[in-house]
Amino acid sequence: MSGVSMVGVTKTYGQVKALDHVSVDVCEGELLALLGPSGCGKTTLLRCVAGLERPDRGSVEIGELDVTGVPTRDRPIGMVFQNYALFPNLTVRQNIAFPLEVRHKVRREIDARVDELLELVHLTDQADRYPKQISGGQAQRCALGRALAPNPEVLLLDEPLSALDALVRGRLRDEIRRIQQLVGITAIYVTHDQSEAMAIADRVAVMNAGRVEQVAAPADLYELPATQFSAKFVGSRNAVELAVHDGRVGIPGSFHIEAPSGSNGHALAFFRPEDVVVSRGADGPGMAARVELKVFLGATTRLHLIGDADGQPIAIFGDLPSRQARLIDEGEMVRVDVDPSHVHAFPI
Amino acid sequence: MAVNPILTATGQRAAGGVRLSRTARYLFFGAVLLYFCVPMAAVLIYSFATRWTANVLPDGYTLEWWQATVANPRIQSAFSTSIALATLTAIIDIAVVVPAAYWSRVRNARIRPVVEVAAAVPFALPYVVIAFGLMQFSGVVVPQYQGTFALLVAGHAAIAFPFVYWAVDGAMAAAGIERLSETAEACGASPFQTLRRVVLPNISPGLVTGGLLSFAASFGEFAMAQIIGRGLDTVPLWSAEMIRSYTDTAGSYNRLAVVTLLTFAVLFVLSAVVVYWNRGQTVRLLPGGVASDKGGGR
Repeated sequence: MSGVSMVGVTKTYGQVKALDHVSVDVCEGELLALLGPSGCGKTTLLRCVAGLERPDRGSVEIGELDVTGVPTRDRPIGMVFQNYALFPNLTVRQNIAFPLEVRHKVRREIDARVDELLELVHLTDQADRYPKQISGGQAQRCALGRALAPNPEVLLLDEPLSALDALVRGRLRDEIRRIQQLVGITAIYVTHDQSEAMAIADRVAVMNAGRVEQVAAPADLYELPATQFSAKFVGSRNAVELAVHDGRVGIPGSFHIEAPSGSNGHALAFFRPEDVVVSRGADGPGMAARVELKVFLGATTRLHLIGDADGQPIAIFGDLPSRQARLIDEGEMVRVDVDPSHVHAFPI
Repeated sequence: MAVNPILTATGQRAAGGVRLSRTARYLFFGAVLLYFCVPMAAVLIYSFATRWTANVLPDGYTLEWWQATVANPRIQSAFSTSIALATLTAIIDIAVVVPAAYWSRVRNARIRPVVEVAAAVPFALPYVVIAFGLMQFSGVVVPQYQGTFALLVAGHAAIAFPFVYWAVDGAMAAAGIERLSETAEACGASPFQTLRRVVLPNISPGLVTGGLLSFAASFGEFAMAQIIGRGLDTVPLWSAEMIRSYTDTAGSYNRLAVVTLLTFAVLFVLSAVVVYWNRGQTVRLLPGGVASDKGGGR
C-alpha cells in the first residue's frame, strides 16, 4: 500500500481551466474526499489519477512511482464509477473475476480470490446473477469488489452513491468505509455531498473552480473553514454582511470580533444556525429580532429571524431543540445572541 | 373503426395511447397478414403449377420446376456466388465498420460527422450511379479487376456498410460503450481484451442485425452486379435473364418462382436466427429489457 501525490496538476479544456495547479497528498491507508460543486474539477482530478485524463502539466505519483505517463491499465488502481459500470454480459462473479482474468492469473487463484471478495461485499448469494437482475446498491458493491480484486494500491471512487436512493446511500457509504478500513487501502472519494464527505473521509479536500480551497479533517473543516468558499459550501451557515467599525465587525447587542485583514468597509460573517442562542422576551443580551417563520425539522426547529442591526435588517437562521421552539410563536420578538468564538469573518 | 381507450388494471390509460378494440385489432392484423402472404402464396403455388392461366387455381401440380431448378448447375452456381458475395460483404463491412464506429465513439469524437456523412451517401445516391462511377474509376486504376468477383465484393462492401454502421453505432450507444471501455481499461484490460471481452459481446445484437442487413443488401443487389459484375452469375442477374428470355413453354416463370422462394428461404432462415439470437441478448444487455431469473433467454 502506498499514498498518492498530485503535484501542480493542470488541465485545460479550450479556454476553461478545469484544474489549476492542484497539489494534494493522500497518505497511506487514508480516505481523502474531494468535495465541491459540479464543475469544480474534482472528477477531472480523479480521472488524472486514474490516467483516463492526461494533465497538461504537473505529475501524479502513486507510492514512490511517477505514473503521469503510464496508461490506465498499467496503474495500480481500482475504480468505482458513478453509474454502475458493470459489464452487462457478465455475471456478478465474472465481473469480479474480470480484472484477474485480463492479468492471466491461474484459474484456481482467481476462483479463490473472487469467493473472498464476494464474501467481503456480501454478494455470495447473488454471484451468478447478471447486473440487470440485481439492485443498484448490490451493483455498486459488485463494482467495489471488482475494483479491489487485483489488490490495487489505490481505490478511486467517482460519486459511487449518487445514483442510489437516500436509504441505500447511507448504508452503502458506511459499508464502503468499513471495507476501505478493513483492507487498509488508500482511497480517493469524489462527491458533491458535504455530509457524505464528512461521514466517510479521514480528510476532505474542498475544491472550487479548479483549485483546492482547503484540506482538513471533517471536524476541523466544520469548525474552522479556511476560506469563504469552504465556509459557504460546508454545512448550512448564516452568511451575514456586516459593516466594519474601528477594525471590528459585529452584531449590535451580541458579538463583536476583529475584522478580517483586507476587509474594506464590509465583511462577511459566517456562523452556524445551531450556534445561535435565541431567548424569549424583549430584554436581555443579544440583538432584538422577530420570528418570521418556524420550520419543524424533527429534533430541531429552524427559526427564520429578522434582526435589526442599527437600522439595517439582517436575516439569520437559528436552530433550537424543537421542545424549546414550541414555546416561541411566529411574529414574536426575541433576543438573538452568538458566541463570538463560533463566528468566522472573511473580507468581501 | 371503433377507437376505445382501454384502462389498465391500475386505472391508468395504457402506455401507447389509443388502443383499438379487439375486433378492429384482428381485422387490421388479418389485413396486414394478407398483404404479406398473398403474394408469397401466389409465388409458392406458381412454383408447383403445371399451367396457371385461366382459372383461380392452377390446372395441375408438379414437382418438375423444383427438381429442374435445384438440379440446374447454373442456378447452383448463381446461388453459391451470391451467398459467397453476400457473406464476404458482411464480413468485410463488420471488420471495417466496428473499429471505425468504436474509434469515433471512444477515442475521437471529431471524426463522427465525417463517418456519419459517409454512412449516408450510399442511401442518397442511386446504386446505378455508384456502380457506373466505380466502373469508370476501376477502369483507370485497376482495369485488370473489371468484371471480377473481387471488384464486385469491394463494390457491395461500399454500398452495404451503412447498414452495419447504423446498427452497430446504435448498439454501442445503447450499451454505453464509452463507459464500458473506460471501466475495462481501469480493470487493467488491454485494448484487444476490451474489444473481445467487453465491446463485442455487448454490441452483439447490432453486429448480428447489421451483418444480416448487409448480407441481404448484397444478396439482392442487381444494378451494381449488372454493371461491374459482367460475366458473373448472381441470383438477381439470373432472375433478370429469366424474365427477359420469357417463353411460355419453357416454364421459366415457374423456375423464377422457385428461385424467389429459395432466396426468401435463405434470408428468412437468417432473420429467424437473428431474431432468436437478439431476443436473448436484448433481454440481458439493453436498458428496458426485462430481467429474468434464468439469466436471459439464449
